[in-house]
Amino acid sequence: MGKPTGYLEYQRRPSPCRPPQARLGDWREFCLPMPDQELREQAARCMDCGVPFCHGGVVFGGAPAGCPLHNLIPEWNDMVYRGFWREAYQRLTITNDFPEFTSRVCPALCEGSCTGGLYGEAVTIQAIERAISERAFASGWVWCEPPVHRTRKRVAVVGSGPAGLACANQLNQLGHSVTVFEQADRPGGLLMYGIPNMKLDKAFVLRRVRLMREQGVVFQTNTRVGDDYPVKLLEREFDAIVLACGARQPRELSVPGREAQGVHLAVDYLTASTKAILAGATPAISARGLHVVVIGGGDTGTDCVATCLRQGCRSVIQLEIMPARPKVRSPENPWPQWPQLDRPGYGQTEAVRVFGQDQRHFCQQTQAILTDGDGNVRAVQSVQVGPRPMAGSVQEWPADLVLLAMGFSGPESRLLDQLGLARDQRGNVPAEFFATSLPGVFAAGDVKRGQSLVAWAIAEGRAAAQACHRYLTGE
Amino acid sequence: MTGEYLVQAQEIQIKIAQGAKPGEGGQLPGRKVYPWIAKVRHSIPGVELISPPPHHDIYSIEDLAQLIYDLKKANPQARISVKLVSAAGVGTIAAGVAKGKADVILISGYDGGTGASPRTSIRHAGLPWELGLAETHQTLVLNNLRDRVVLETDGKLLTGRDVAIAALLGAQEFGFATAPLIALGCVMMRVCNLDTCPVGIATQNPKLRQRFRGDPQYVQNLMQFIAMEMREIMAQLGVRTVSEMIGRTDLLQQRPDLPGKAKGVDLQRLLSQIRPAAGHYCQVSQPGEPGLDERRLLDLCRPALERGEQIKVMLPIRNTDRAVGTGLGSAITRRGSSLPDDTIQLEFVGSAGQSFAAFVPGGVTMKLFGDANDYLGKGLSGGRVIVRPPAKATFVAEENIIVGNVAFYGATGGEAFIRGVAGERFCVRNSGVRVVVEGVGDHGCEYMTGGLVVVLGPTGRNFAAGMSGGIAYVLDEEGNFARRCNQALVDLGPITDDGEQVRELVQKHVQATDSQVGKRVLENWHELLPRFVRVIPRDYRRMLDAINKAQAGGLSGDQALMAAFTANFRDAAHLDAS
Repeated sequence: MGKPTGYLEYQRRPSPCRPPQARLGDWREFCLPMPDQELREQAARCMDCGVPFCHGGVVFGGAPAGCPLHNLIPEWNDMVYRGFWREAYQRLTITNDFPEFTSRVCPALCEGSCTGGLYGEAVTIQAIERAISERAFASGWVWCEPPVHRTRKRVAVVGSGPAGLACANQLNQLGHSVTVFEQADRPGGLLMYGIPNMKLDKAFVLRRVRLMREQGVVFQTNTRVGDDYPVKLLEREFDAIVLACGARQPRELSVPGREAQGVHLAVDYLTASTKAILAGATPAISARGLHVVVIGGGDTGTDCVATCLRQGCRSVIQLEIMPARPKVRSPENPWPQWPQLDRPGYGQTEAVRVFGQDQRHFCQQTQAILTDGDGNVRAVQSVQVGPRPMAGSVQEWPADLVLLAMGFSGPESRLLDQLGLARDQRGNVPAEFFATSLPGVFAAGDVKRGQSLVAWAIAEGRAAAQACHRYLTGE
Repeated sequence: MTGEYLVQAQEIQIKIAQGAKPGEGGQLPGRKVYPWIAKVRHSIPGVELISPPPHHDIYSIEDLAQLIYDLKKANPQARISVKLVSAAGVGTIAAGVAKGKADVILISGYDGGTGASPRTSIRHAGLPWELGLAETHQTLVLNNLRDRVVLETDGKLLTGRDVAIAALLGAQEFGFATAPLIALGCVMMRVCNLDTCPVGIATQNPKLRQRFRGDPQYVQNLMQFIAMEMREIMAQLGVRTVSEMIGRTDLLQQRPDLPGKAKGVDLQRLLSQIRPAAGHYCQVSQPGEPGLDERRLLDLCRPALERGEQIKVMLPIRNTDRAVGTGLGSAITRRGSSLPDDTIQLEFVGSAGQSFAAFVPGGVTMKLFGDANDYLGKGLSGGRVIVRPPAKATFVAEENIIVGNVAFYGATGGEAFIRGVAGERFCVRNSGVRVVVEGVGDHGCEYMTGGLVVVLGPTGRNFAAGMSGGIAYVLDEEGNFARRCNQALVDLGPITDDGEQVRELVQKHVQATDSQVGKRVLENWHELLPRFVRVIPRDYRRMLDAINKAQAGGLSGDQALMAAFTANFRDAAHLDAS
């Protein structure tokens, strides 16, 4: 806490963003860097609490509070205030392998449990984290540092999402030889194809992957373990296996008309879009000139809306089954829990800008997808639900393209069954202290805990690496 | 502490030490001393307040007994509590305190008080209340003292279980602070010293106070939960009242299932049962001791008390008459209206006992022909005290000690003229009295925060240590005062104005006491004026300058104080220094 009175003197300033009309024309990131002076002031707002929750990473009454990575937030806030950027970066990397990712895509649990937010406004922790990480790359403080000593142990990491990358990075630094398997054509998992470019520029993902390659991590893309690479071979070739293959089983919509032409899973749509951007081609699924209905009101739904707008859709409607969240904390959701608030995302803000009003509709349960004579989607039929469906509230939303963004139900079974792993009733791989039911097989990230946040994935990847390391070295 | 303040109390606590930081004092940083805080503390806004760890009026158990006596005279209706901390041997001290006639003994543990304590102390100082409480209870029971004192404990009691264990170890009353604070919204920021409390608790800043969202109901709720848990435990133990639980260590047992080192702990001593010959909890109250006030003064002064008539009385006094005038002062203060100057004029002849004129309010003049023991004018709250040798005395007044140690300790207002030399620790923690004396012993004006002291003779060493307010003028004819003065916080210099203030006081001194030194000073005023050394604390002078500046800028009263305080708050040099 460089400045005890900082939080009284300075107002919270959120990260600056490009205005919607400017950013809708391209696929570049919508967030802008904050000027140095402003960053210093924002960092000065940190109170270096006696009992901080920002880096707690704990669960209170079923709700998360604080950073799962236990980032040393008050420390680097203070360093940024004092201008010790390099030291701040060093403190940041102690807990976080990839601050360039978390500072862009994390919902910032830390800010939700910041004491500043108790009766005022939280510190802009995420903007500060982003500034530290970008300054580190720009100043050349992030360089290739391969491990000095190699243990000659070989570890396979299945999946190259945030959990897999963090785990591979840690294991590699510990001297193990790591091969990361990725089924897609580029590493990164959901960081690459799940999150659109305007939120996380793919150049940053590739920059990190390149760095890890230079440090000795082997990436084997276009390889689906279990199909392209036999499980038997995997068990023979590697001393340990870390499963970080995510929870990629999408939650399905079981209504008549689901099979209609023009109904797509959000993750397929976003993948196609990003692939097209990277290749400079036309996407396989495009919203250009179409009426779009996005089913699901989460972050992926927001990403779909933003992508549709950039592709030039005629309209986009978002249907959410839950009621709108409150504008202010409800008494059942006290600080330092993550505040369950109605925060329109960047995509919704853009939609308001284009169509003049909020395109979200709450309490809408999809009943059917209506088709024309040729099996093409024509409209989505929904009914308003309170606790129960309300009579006479059936509505039709004209649609040429329907995107299902209702989250993921669990990991894909194929590989897990081939390995013969125990599963819990949700289908996740139970792994107390990251060890699964099979010796030498570890699990981290969404495959273990179900769909979650990037910060949790990195935290689990790091912890699983430690568990794996202990297994390999017998320590 | 004024007499008026004491009269309001239901319980007065003498804090010998604090559980979380035994042996340490407290400090209120200058930036937290808002004008309204300075007013109740009798100090200057913006100037740091130091509560020194030792009590300069308590160097022995007898001193403590004397203070208890004085406080009982200052407010006969209040309970007097003495706060001790858990430590090996605290039982012996508590026995002394009980014999010193305290009503309540508080044993404080090391876990509480985390807001105001330094980190080092929180982690490395103090002992659990359980240890001190068990020892105290057992010692008091063994000495048949337990039935005349209430035993209280605190130090992060949080639950009904804590309360039940405390009762079984011997406590009768229970103190809570951390838990209610949390219930009121404290988030343990550990910035209590910085005046930036984000929940508006540890602050006087109006802007931050607005953030306070606490409600008394939250505390009530918490206490009801604690009481409920306590009742449940009592039901399990089969006891009906808390009184019958006190000291029932037979209902406690050491857990046998603890792992590791904890297994090796032997709690037998803690849990030993002593059959009380007298009661095992407070059943009788400490006997009172009527003093000169109760025997004579109150009756004599009744016309003044009831009808505001002028009273002039002359009485003999002897050194067994302690705290003379205190009971009378308490009666005056309790009536709520102050008396006009010199309404009650008391003259005494002889040797006064300890605490002569302690806490005496305005309207009372107490003149003593003879000499006085320690604690003369302790806590003087507006009264006038005059001490001079008897007319027929053959010794030279200014060469002889006439009043004992610790005179005017913690005095908040009034005037005093001492013809003769005072003992050690003169005017320690004085915050308002204007006094003339003809010499002082060691540690004069230590921790003084206000008032005015004129010394017409030599001082002892360590003068003005920790002094943060008020001014002292020392007539330094030998020219060696600077060597005996502790200049850590004060500046020495000549009188900068015409010295009229000092001259007036000396004149009054001569009138009241017929002082030979005083006469000589007045006769040779112009030669001796340059020999006066002005002792003024640096912080104090800076604030006075700021106040003068604000007044020169057209502000007055509270506005000037606030402007000066705010200006001082922004003073970068000051922030760096503190």
